[in-house]
Amino acid sequence: MWTGIKNLFSGKSSRDVAKGRLHLVLAHDRSGLEGGRLQEMRAEIAAVIAKYVPIDAEAVEIQIETRSRSTQLTVSSSIQPRNV
Amino acid sequence: MGRAIVITSGKGGVGKTTTTANLGTALAQLGHSVVLVDADIGLRNLDVVMGLENRIVYHVVDAIRGKCSIQKALIKDRRMDNLWLLPASQTDDKDAVTPDDMRSLIFELKATHDFVLIDCPAGIEQGFKNAIAGADEAVVVATPEVSSIRDADRVVGLLAAADVPARLIVNRISANLVRRGDMLSQSDVIEILALEMLGAIPLDDQVIATTNKGVPAVLEGKSVAAKEFIRIAKRLAGHEVEPEAVGFFTRLGRALGLSATPA
Repeated sequence: MWTGIKNLFSGKSSRDVAKGRLHLVLAHDRSGLEGGRLQEMRAEIAAVIAKYVPIDAEAVEIQIETRSRSTQLTVSSSIQPRNV
Repeated sequence: MGRAIVITSGKGGVGKTTTTANLGTALAQLGHSVVLVDADIGLRNLDVVMGLENRIVYHVVDAIRGKCSIQKALIKDRRMDNLWLLPASQTDDKDAVTPDDMRSLIFELKATHDFVLIDCPAGIEQGFKNAIAGADEAVVVATPEVSSIRDADRVVGLLAAADVPARLIVNRISANLVRRGDMLSQSDVIEILALEMLGAIPLDDQVIATTNKGVPAVLEGKSVAAKEFIRIAKRLAGHEVEPEAVGFFTRLGRALGLSATPA
């Protein structure tokens, strides 16, 4: 019950925070990609996408996530409407 | 032919040596012949945790270099019928032995004992590579903390690459803290590391007290941690393990939704 009240005010328990941090840290550890390399890759992928469809290269997002022992790389970008 | 099991963790201070001492003692109590190998060359500790520090004559590096026979380097634990310790050297460093040395040493020990438990040093460098070289399987010890689990995950990856199957022990878990939402539960740790779990050792003052005296907790018997070490030893040896005894009030509490269900 106390946990419930505490979470009502602070949002998340420290246990949930730890879990979230671990998922993120392990995803990066398992991919072997340090922060700088990841940003390099993001810029390269953005440039490739931009060759085919109009996008805002700065808004391309890259994310590594892990669940159990599998790690997923997600690149997301919204396509800008074509200027006709 | 016995089984060689390496106890490892990546991070230091999470309870590898205590786990090695207690699982080894519990396996010996179950009637198996057990040898504990301290692979932490240069920083030996298993001897003091076992209370055998005054009886060391030869050590693992002597045995590998042929200064004495392997059997002669083993220290017999007089409290039990079938428990031995092969201490590390305190003056050499990790490079004094190679993975090949360890592989043939462990192979010979497996011929004379049911279980060879190898206490791995912290880290993932030479000492780790030596310690896992002769192992058939691994027990990864992690405490429910971000840093420990992160390091454990690294070690799990390295063990998989070396084809050493691994199982997990979560050490120093506090049911109270888990219930309050201030500690990762054992199921959180399993979910994150995706490893089969052997057991979870509760945080227990008794372990500190018995370790002060150089007595493995399972020899004094009654503490909650000792009971869990014994259950894990049975599981390791392939004995049937009875489900945890649950008291009347706990069951009542659970039925009323008052206490946390086992995580």
